[in-house]
Amino acid sequence: MTEPVIQLDSLALCYRLPKQRIGSIKEYFIHFVKGNLVYERLWALQGLDLSVTAGEFVGVIGPNGAGKSTLAKVISGVLKPTRGERRVRGRISPILELTTGFDFELTGYENIFLNGLLLGRTRREVKAALDSIIDFSGLEEFIHTPIRNYSSGMVARLGFSIATAWVPELLILDEVLAVGDSRFVRRCQERIKSFQEAGTTTLLVSHASELLRESCSRCLWLERGRLVADGEPGEVIDRYEEAMRGPREGVAAEAPASS
Amino acid sequence: MKELYRYRDLIWTLVERDLKVRYRRSAIGFLWTMLQPLLTMLVLQLVFSAIFRFELRNYPVYALSGILFWNFFQQSIISSMNSLKGNAPILQKLPVPMEVFPLATVISGVVNLAFALVPLFVILLATGHRLGWSLAFLPVSILIAALFTLGAGLLLSPLAVFFSDVVELVGVVLMLCFYLTPCFYPMSIVQRHPFFWVIRYSPLRSILEVFRDPIYFSKVPPLSHLSLALTVTLVVLLVGWLGFRRSADRIPFYF
Repeated sequence: MTEPVIQLDSLALCYRLPKQRIGSIKEYFIHFVKGNLVYERLWALQGLDLSVTAGEFVGVIGPNGAGKSTLAKVISGVLKPTRGERRVRGRISPILELTTGFDFELTGYENIFLNGLLLGRTRREVKAALDSIIDFSGLEEFIHTPIRNYSSGMVARLGFSIATAWVPELLILDEVLAVGDSRFVRRCQERIKSFQEAGTTTLLVSHASELLRESCSRCLWLERGRLVADGEPGEVIDRYEEAMRGPREGVAAEAPASS
Repeated sequence: MKELYRYRDLIWTLVERDLKVRYRRSAIGFLWTMLQPLLTMLVLQLVFSAIFRFELRNYPVYALSGILFWNFFQQSIISSMNSLKGNAPILQKLPVPMEVFPLATVISGVVNLAFALVPLFVILLATGHRLGWSLAFLPVSILIAALFTLGAGLLLSPLAVFFSDVVELVGVVLMLCFYLTPCFYPMSIVQRHPFFWVIRYSPLRSILEVFRDPIYFSKVPPLSHLSLALTVTLVVLLVGWLGFRRSADRIPFYF
């Protein structure tokens, strides 16, 4: 058995939200002296165990606030878990948002470099992929225009083209396939499929259950930071949709652990 | 460290972008970097030759070298602190090692310092100051100053994320430090002061002396200056690095 690509062991993540908005040293000091530095702890993920092996295509569904995006961020390495362990093997392409890291004053061309480098590529790697990035984005005509003049769809296309210019070991997509025109969306899906054939592991967070049904090999149902179901996509999604249709009973969430 | 090496091209691109922005904004942006310290020097020259009289040969070179050092230090600290905040959207969505932002800021500060050295050399030549081989030591001095500044920047930049008023607070502290560092006055005029030791043993002074020795005194910094400056630099860099690593994980939660 090969080593898993993603391995999470009782992973928990807590957002500490101050009851009062403390934004300055002055306020911090006042609250500290008065002894009322109170934080509300929000456990966005509450003890997740997950093991994903190479080549799996894992979909993640769940209502808003279930912790899907947090999960994507933790696996990407943007957020560090509060407790538990995260192990990820290989190179990650995290696409949590398509407009991240763009400088709107720079041209599309310059942004390809900036963005590629932010993804941890070298200048040489970006240069080698340049033509294919521009070609895939379909923005040849505007590539030397500052992207503040781009439409939001155009920026998203460029973002997707850069982030998927290299075949990663792990691709993480958080609700990013809903942009662009249908033709571009189809091309994105084709590219993801080709990655799949190249052995990429994919984590796709989405509300588009049809998309998940047809592309995933496995589906996670997340609710209030816990795994409700993990299994065959058709079955999990059916159950999820059933639950969503009914009165809001959801899954009885335990009171957030406090410490 | 290995991570940072992987992101080396990103660091250069950030430096390049920073410089481009700085010099593209105004037509004389480039000139301004050189002009601003010169004008400050002129003001100081006027003030100090009229009000205080100190026995200091070639005061312009003395003052200008102090001011160049200080400008580099202060601007780098303030921009390091803003660099994390300014790149918040990136830090929330991409797993980039966060050190690259303060690091790039300090590097672009060094480039600016290099530009600003040009008028200093012009003045050195114009005033017939003795130019020695000691000037070859200047790059080492600048490296020490840069590492010291990087350490301080690493230590302070996460704080600027956690508390919004830190930048202003540091601004005030820096002003105090400016007057407590012999940038534009000679040590002799503060010798009698009861708090002389504060100035004498200030870590910033040791860094400044190592920078000024090769320029003004035409000598390689003596071992006493050098060892003190190196010790201070290593301590600040280590503390800054550890502090940064400790708080880095919490940074994305604060935006």
